[in-house]
Amino acid sequence: MAVTSPPGSATLSPAPLAGSATRWSSFRRRLTIWISGSVVALLVITCYLGPFVLPIPSPVGGNVLDSGLSPGSPGHPLGTDVNGNDVLSRLIHGGRSSLTVGVVVNIIGLAIGGTVGAISAYLGGRADSIIMRALDVLIAFPSLVLVIVLAQILGPSLPNTILALSAFSIPAVARISRAATLKVMSMPYLQAAELSGSPWWRILSRHVVPNIVPQLTTFAMLGMAIVVVTEGALSFLGLGIPPPRPSWGNMIFEAQQSMSATPLLVLWPSIALLVTVLSFNLLGESIRDEVTGR
Amino acid sequence: MRSGARLATMSGMLNATREPAATSNGAAGPILVVDDLRVTFSRHGRVVHAVNGLSYQVRPGRTLAIIGESGSGKSVSVRALMGLLPPSAHIEGSARLDGTELVGLDDKSWRAVRGCQIAMVFQDPASSLNPTMSIGAQLIEAIRMHAPLKRREAAQKAIDLLKLVRLPSPEKRLKQFPHQLSGGMRQRVVIAIALSSDPKLLIADEATTALDVTTQAQIMELLVDIQERLGMAVIMISHDLSLAACYAHEVLVMYAGKAVEHAETRNLFSNVRMPYTKALLDAIPQLSTPAHLQPAIVGGHPPDLSALPEGCAFLPRCPSSTEQCRIEPHLAEHEPEHAYACWHPVSRDGSCTGQKEERP
Amino acid sequence: MSGATTTPAAEKRTRVTENGPAGEQPEGLRARLAGSPVLRLVGRRLMIVIPLLFVVSALVFLLMEALPGDPAQIRAGMDASEEEVEAVRQQMGLDRPGHERYLSWLGGALTGDLGSSVVSGRAVTTLLGERLPVTLQMAGMAFVLSIVISLPLALAAARRPGGLVDRFVMVCSMTLLAVPNFVMALLLVLVFAVGLGMLPAIGFVPLAEGVWPNMRSMILPVLSLAVPMACFYARFLRGDLVEQLNAAAYIDTARSKGTGPWRILWLHAFRNSSFGLLTLVGLNIGALVGGTVIIERIFAMPGMGTLMLEGVMSSDVAVVQTCVFIFAAAAVFANLLVDVMYAVLDPRVRYGSH
Ligand SMILES: Nc1ncnc2c1ncn2[C@@H]1O[C@H](COP(=O)(O)OP(=O)(O)OP(=O)(O)O)[C@@H](O)[C@H]1O
Ligand code: SF4
Ligand SMILES: [Mg+2]
Repeated sequence: MAVTSPPGSATLSPAPLAGSATRWSSFRRRLTIWISGSVVALLVITCYLGPFVLPIPSPVGGNVLDSGLSPGSPGHPLGTDVNGNDVLSRLIHGGRSSLTVGVVVNIIGLAIGGTVGAISAYLGGRADSIIMRALDVLIAFPSLVLVIVLAQILGPSLPNTILALSAFSIPAVARISRAATLKVMSMPYLQAAELSGSPWWRILSRHVVPNIVPQLTTFAMLGMAIVVVTEGALSFLGLGIPPPRPSWGNMIFEAQQSMSATPLLVLWPSIALLVTVLSFNLLGESIRDEVTGR
Repeated sequence: MRSGARLATMSGMLNATREPAATSNGAAGPILVVDDLRVTFSRHGRVVHAVNGLSYQVRPGRTLAIIGESGSGKSVSVRALMGLLPPSAHIEGSARLDGTELVGLDDKSWRAVRGCQIAMVFQDPASSLNPTMSIGAQLIEAIRMHAPLKRREAAQKAIDLLKLVRLPSPEKRLKQFPHQLSGGMRQRVVIAIALSSDPKLLIADEATTALDVTTQAQIMELLVDIQERLGMAVIMISHDLSLAACYAHEVLVMYAGKAVEHAETRNLFSNVRMPYTKALLDAIPQLSTPAHLQPAIVGGHPPDLSALPEGCAFLPRCPSSTEQCRIEPHLAEHEPEHAYACWHPVSRDGSCTGQKEERP
Repeated sequence: MSGATTTPAAEKRTRVTENGPAGEQPEGLRARLAGSPVLRLVGRRLMIVIPLLFVVSALVFLLMEALPGDPAQIRAGMDASEEEVEAVRQQMGLDRPGHERYLSWLGGALTGDLGSSVVSGRAVTTLLGERLPVTLQMAGMAFVLSIVISLPLALAAARRPGGLVDRFVMVCSMTLLAVPNFVMALLLVLVFAVGLGMLPAIGFVPLAEGVWPNMRSMILPVLSLAVPMACFYARFLRGDLVEQLNAAAYIDTARSKGTGPWRILWLHAFRNSSFGLLTLVGLNIGALVGGTVIIERIFAMPGMGTLMLEGVMSSDVAVVQTCVFIFAAAAVFANLLVDVMYAVLDPRVRYGSH
């Protein structure tokens, strides 16, 4: 009986998808990508070009006589902090530190973590399980705890902050890259490539990498938000970017001391942090939805 | 054995066709009257016409099979009867169940109709039961939804229902979970859920498509048997013409959201008039014919439901089309008990059954 | 209706195929325990977790070696002579090779001796006894609160996807999610302590001094931890529920029984979504633990986080080592617990899947 299967089913040509069902939502998604992408671009341009273009004073070495000026004071649109430094200038320079840390940590994470994950998945077997167990050890630590200890070992500085943060970025990216690679490797075209005798580096570079890059870039957007927040926390604790060099985290910490008198000084860097994290989150989420076609 | 008929040629199928109208119920009025039912989905400018003026009636104790290729609107048309369409669907026309108008019911009234008057069995038994709830919990939920029974009484009724659908050792099943049952057993449970409140109409939307051929036959036998015991009306949706030929009293063929041919099963298969139905029948693979000699599947694509042309929807794919077909043919009883919508019906001698009977 | 009944042969076939997958459960408590998929799963996971914890402890030890500052110097005092420092070093056993010291630390840890703080000289176990309850209370309350906030929000949002409630919940949660917990803490202090003066800005009142004072000192720290987590969970759960409602066939079955929308949501859809949520919660325990460090610092709570930070700053190796290890172990065990709960709750695991 099984021979007749599929029995008499009318195997007609399949219907083309009637009506692009999700026009409106895909329009909204594009809009979100454009808006959050523009905010990110604006942030990057302001933080990196602003100091050269805008007429703002230096973020450090302010005159104590100028301390605590309120917003709107001449030459200081957002006022000055307790040390008499211009708040706007410190925000912009602080943003530069945060974005630099975020970008470099993510590049390190993608380069090392991405490669390790892909190779681990590609090799499979024993090598794979050894690599994954090693990553498990790093992932077992609550990220902030590990970063705090590393930061203290390395000493507070911008490059050291980057190194410390990479310690949790690398294993996280490696896991995602491994999962993505495993998925690609189960695809028929990859098996076909293997059977046709392509060398492993060609398979990795031609087939695996192009297929996992979209997923990894999406994660990098969300990763930017995580890294910027963790850098803020680290600098807030005095273990990240050392004063007098500004960073949003250490600005918040300094402002916290005089919070009841000048609450605005806490708010400015907090808002900067919020806008940055929000736009990276939105960008990452909407790109992910776009890629997965939800 | 009825399933044996599945192997046979069309003539074999016809021999197994159900006798028209169970005599006891023959006189009863229709339980379901669908009149000019229309369903559209609108999504920002584009309107998908999934069902375009469908009319039919079902009498108690009778089985109507709705057949048609994928996307012809079979599921949408019956989901409209259950209120299971998403909010993006717009429903027009009328569907009266035992006098109650179903189109335009509000959420509360729907809950009184669903399960109680109409019940439905879905295509995939693997996913149509909640994997996290025991069989008993899901069955008892259905029973208590419409009858004020105590838990113990409901459990007893659940066991009775499982016996009715011939599930072995029903007492034990109540505590089991869906993954512990085979596909056929799961579909029996779904049927038990559907029968829990003696519905007047049971809809089986490709209820056996996901099952292997043996189980498929067993489930269909079960449905037929239960229908004859309880006297309810059944609408069965299928891709599978031979299944429809075996188990339905009458067959309705849908194309692009419309009924294009509707007749008693025996009548329809012995005397196909609509070119689309003929194409469907020709598409059945024959065991006796080598693969390379099998008839071609219906050529062309199903029409775009958001831009249906004037005239007959089958026109672009129809071998017998003429200029006249640019005017829409309406479904009408051109012959006694045989309705079809076509300007140039397939002639008797050209009918597919005739051709096939000549095959060795 | 001719031939409507199945032949005996077909009947027999039914029995065979249909009894197949439903294996009998072994009877008797002992057999049940031995054959219990849950216990087997716990066993399997422990086989991974226990070696993992040993490696973690070794890594922590290595990290401590690299921590700046010389414990002997600290113990002896900054103005001690080189000979005095050397004497202290020998007395503390710091002149022995690394692996020996690790093994003796491990031996001590397994017998309940975690060494003592080089700064205060007090036993680490005593310190833990004081600090651990504070952190446990804070993290526990934050955890419960985040679930209590997120569940109703997600259910209400999923009731009508795209509706007013849904949009409100989604926009609010997206925004609040972007507020890091230390910023959230400061904003809460600004509003409720500095602005309204309703709650204390910093400090911790032990439970022994009264439930209400203790709660008052906990509210702001717990909120700072719980709100961002709640947003995260609510967004995830809402998304998963909507996916279930749209795509799952069992939802159609439930609807066609006549089941009401709320019951479908919390009984049918939520049961299935809860597994994904559980996994997410487990993965997030690490973030919660990390969060307590910075939140304790802001609110001057005498918990594990503050203890660790003080230790890190003053190179108090024994203290930091223990704290870091406990944090990691907590995250690892939380995940183990999640796996076990998953197994207990999901009938597919509980009764073994085919
Ligand atoms: N929720 C929806 N939104 C928009 N269009 C829909 C929706 N549901 C169904 N349709 C459209 O309605 C048409 C009819 O679909 P339906 O599911 O009724 O087909 P069917 O005859 O049951 O096909 P199959 O045999 O594959 O089940 C299809 O073209 C489909 O694209
Ligand atoms: S009306 Fe014309 S086009 Fe339509 S089915 Fe009949 S012959 Fe073909
Ligand atoms: Mg269908």
